[in-house]
Amino acid sequence: MTAPPPSVWTTLQTLGSSTDFQTKVYRNDTAGLYLWVSYVEPMVDMEFVARSIFPYLFHCPFSSLEEIHRALPIDDAYISSDPNNVKEKLLEGYLFIRLHETDETGLLVKAQKTLERALTVPEVEFSVVGPKESFIESLETNLFLLRKRIPIDRLTVKMTTVGTLSKTKVAVVYIDGIANPDNVQTVLQRIEEVEFDEIIDSSYIVQIISDNRHSPFPQLLDTERPDRVAAVLAEGKVAIMVDGSPHVLIGPTTLVEFFSSFEDYFLNWTVASFFRLIRLFSVTFSILITPMYVATLNYHYELIPKDLLGTLITSRREIPFPPILEVLFLELTIELLREAGARLPTKVGQTIGIVGGIVIGTASVEAGLTSNVLLILVALAALASFTTPVYKIGNTIRLMRFPFILFAEIWGLLGVAFCFCIIVTHLLYLTSLGRPFLSPLYPPRWRDLKDALVRLPFTSQSKRPETLRTEQPIRFDGKKAKQKRDIDE
Amino acid sequence: MASVAERLQVSPFMTFFIIMSMQIGIGVLGFQRIIAETAGHDAWISVLLAGASSHLILILIYWLLQQADGDFVLLHQRLFGRWVGGVLSLLLVLYFAIMPFVVLSTYIEVVQVWMFPDLKTWEFSLALFLLCLYITFGGFRIVVGICFFCLIIPSYLVFTFWFVLDYSDFYQLLPIFDHSPSAILKAAKQMTLTMLGYETVLFFYPFIKGGKQSAKWAHAAVLTTTLFYTLLTILTLAYFSENQLQRQIWPTLMMWKVVELPFIERFEYIGIANWLLIILPNICLGLWCSSRICKQLFSIRQKMALLVITTICFFCTLWIDDRAEIDFANTILNRAGFYFLYIWIPCLAGITYIVKKVRGNV
Repeated sequence: MTAPPPSVWTTLQTLGSSTDFQTKVYRNDTAGLYLWVSYVEPMVDMEFVARSIFPYLFHCPFSSLEEIHRALPIDDAYISSDPNNVKEKLLEGYLFIRLHETDETGLLVKAQKTLERALTVPEVEFSVVGPKESFIESLETNLFLLRKRIPIDRLTVKMTTVGTLSKTKVAVVYIDGIANPDNVQTVLQRIEEVEFDEIIDSSYIVQIISDNRHSPFPQLLDTERPDRVAAVLAEGKVAIMVDGSPHVLIGPTTLVEFFSSFEDYFLNWTVASFFRLIRLFSVTFSILITPMYVATLNYHYELIPKDLLGTLITSRREIPFPPILEVLFLELTIELLREAGARLPTKVGQTIGIVGGIVIGTASVEAGLTSNVLLILVALAALASFTTPVYKIGNTIRLMRFPFILFAEIWGLLGVAFCFCIIVTHLLYLTSLGRPFLSPLYPPRWRDLKDALVRLPFTSQSKRPETLRTEQPIRFDGKKAKQKRDIDE
Repeated sequence: MASVAERLQVSPFMTFFIIMSMQIGIGVLGFQRIIAETAGHDAWISVLLAGASSHLILILIYWLLQQADGDFVLLHQRLFGRWVGGVLSLLLVLYFAIMPFVVLSTYIEVVQVWMFPDLKTWEFSLALFLLCLYITFGGFRIVVGICFFCLIIPSYLVFTFWFVLDYSDFYQLLPIFDHSPSAILKAAKQMTLTMLGYETVLFFYPFIKGGKQSAKWAHAAVLTTTLFYTLLTILTLAYFSENQLQRQIWPTLMMWKVVELPFIERFEYIGIANWLLIILPNICLGLWCSSRICKQLFSIRQKMALLVITTICFFCTLWIDDRAEIDFANTILNRAGFYFLYIWIPCLAGITYIVKKVRGNV
C-alpha cells in the first residue's frame, strides 16, 4: 500500500501540530469574502504584515487570488499549490492565503522577520589600521559587504543548500575570468557532496571538504574580514560563505598564508616584511624551544657553554623531576590556563590569566617544582604561539609541540630532527583544493615568493600567484608602475 | 617514452636539487682523510678531476637516455634480450637497495660514536625506515620534496665553516703539484665515490617534465657539488696538518668543534642531528629507485616492492653493526658504483653506438 501523495491540506495538518503554526480567518467586508491566512508565527514580521499587507487584504474588492496578488504591493508573492514548496516557504516566514479552508491553491506572500546583529569590529583578526568591519551571521549582509568592495559584474555567486535538517545556504563566490574554473568546480562539487544533517558553521564545511580530514593543519583559510576576502578573490581564489557563520572560507590556500596577517598589506612593505619574519621566527621558536630544553638537559648538556650551564644548573638544582615531566607540567598548565580563559567571560578570564600566569608560575618555581629558566621559556613559547594571525593555525602549533617534546625525550636532538622530517613529509602530502599546500616553497614558485615569507612592495605584485593557475595571471602593468626616473627630472 | 602522467612529474630544475641532495651524503663527514692519504695537500686537485669526470659520465648518461627514450631498464632488455638485460637491471636493484642500509648504518655509527653510545640500532632504523616508507608511498613528488627541503634547510651549515677560517693556514697547500700524477689520479678515483648519486637520473628521468631540459640542471648540480667539495677539501687541508688529518675519521665533525656561539658550545651535535636531513634523501631515493626498477622488471606493484626492500634493508642494518662490517659494506657499494658508472656506462654507450650503426635504431 502506498501512502497518498501529500496534499497542501495534509501538509498544513502536519504543521498544525506545532502550536506556533497559526491559521486565522479574516473577513473582507468590501468583497464579502473570508480569507484563511496561515503562517509560522516566530518567522513572520507581524508589524510588517499589519502595516503593509492587511490594509490591502481587507479593504480592496476582489474575488480571486490573482486579484489579491495584483493588489498587493509586495514583490515576492506568488500562487502555489505544490505542498513541498508551501511547506518550505511557510517555514521561511511566508504567509499562505487561501479563500476556502480546503483549497489546495493559495497565495504565498513574503513577510519574513529579519533579525541580525549590527556590523562589528573584527575581533579575531583585529588590525590597528585598515577597515574595521567584519562579517556577521547573515549571508545577505556578508554578500553585500563583499559586493560593495568588488562592484563588477564578473563577481559570481553560486548558491547551494547543504544539510538535510539545517538547509543551510552556502554561497561559492569567485571572480569569473580570474579564478581557475577547476578550483571553482572542485569547491562546488565537494559542497554538493557534503553529507551531514545540521551544518551550523563554516568550520563544519571546512572539516568535511578538506583534502585531508585527519590533518591538524587547516587546509582552508578562514577569515572574518571582508577586505581580506575581497583581496584574495582578486588574486583568483575562491571563497565559501555559509549562512549563519561570520567566518568565510578561502581556498586554495598555502601554509605561508596562515602566517600573513592582513595588516601586513596596510603597512609599508619593509615593516610588514619584518613583522612577517618575526612571526615565522616566533612560530619556530614556539615549537622548538621546549623540545630543545628537554633534549639538551637530558642528553646534550655539552651543547651549552660553561657560563650558561651554571645558570641552568643552579635553577634546576632543587627540582626533583626529570626535564620531560617539568616541561609537560608547565606546558599543560599553560594549555589549561588558555582553555579556562577561553571558556570564561572576559572579566573573569582576565583574572584567571593573572592568577594563573603570576601566581602558579611563581609558586611552582618557589616550591621547587619547575626551574625558572623553563618558566621563562614556556611563557615565551606560549606568547609566541599567539602571534599567529590566524587563530586555527595557532592551535595547530600548540599541538605540534607535544610530539616534538616526546621525540626529544627519546632521541634528543636527533629526535627533534626526526620529528621535523615527519612533519615536513606530512606537509608535503597536504593539498588545498588539490593545490600543493607548501607552495610557493615546494614546488618552488620563485615569483610567488614576493608575497610569502616577506611582502614586497605593491609595484612588484603585478602578477597573480602562479600556484593558483589563474585565467588572467597579470594584475596590472608592472613595468608602468615601476617606471624609473633619472635624478633631477 | 615511458608514459608518466603529467601531474606526477616535476619541473626540470628540480633535477638540481635531486642530484645534489643525492651526491651530498654521509661521505661529506669523512672523505677528506681518504683522499689526503694518497694525494696529500694536492687532494683538492683530485676533487676537481673527479668532478670533471662526473660531468663526462653525465653527458654519456644523457646520451643513453635519449637513445632509450628515457627508459634505462628497457634499454638493457633491447640490447641484451629479456633475460640477460633483466639480470643486469636486477643488479641495479641490488645496488640501490644496498645504498639505503649502508648510508643508514654509517649514520647510526656516527651517532653512536659522537652522541648516543647507547642508541639502539634497531629502534632508530625501524623508525627511520617507517618514515621512509611514509615518504616513498607518496610517490616521486613527495620524495623530491624531501630532497628539496633536506638540501635547503641544512644549507645554513655552510656558514659554520666561517669559524674554521680563523684557524686555517692556507700555506699548507703549497707547493702545488707536489704529488705524482698517478697519486692524484688515484685520489680522484677514490673521490668519485663521494661524488656518486647522479646515476639516479637514469631512473627518475621519465618523471621530469621535458626531460631533456634537465641536463643543464644536472650539470649545474654536479658542478656545485664539485665546488663545494673542493672548497671543503681546501679548508680541511688548511685547518689540519697532514699527520693530524690522518688520525681523524670524520674531519668535518672535528672542524665543527671550533664553532663558537654564545649559546652553543659543541656545534657538531647540532651538525649530526642536522645530518639526518642530509641522509634522508639518499635513503628515500635509493628505495624509490630500486622499487621502481622492480616494478618495471616484474610488473608488480611498487608498494609491494617497497615493503619487501625496506624490510630487507631493515634486517640488514641489524645484521651489520660493527665498524669493520660497515666499512666493508661501504667499500662494496662504492666499488659497485664505480664499476657501474665508469666501466659499465661507457661500455653501454659504446655498445649502443655500434648497435645503432648496425640496426639503425636501438
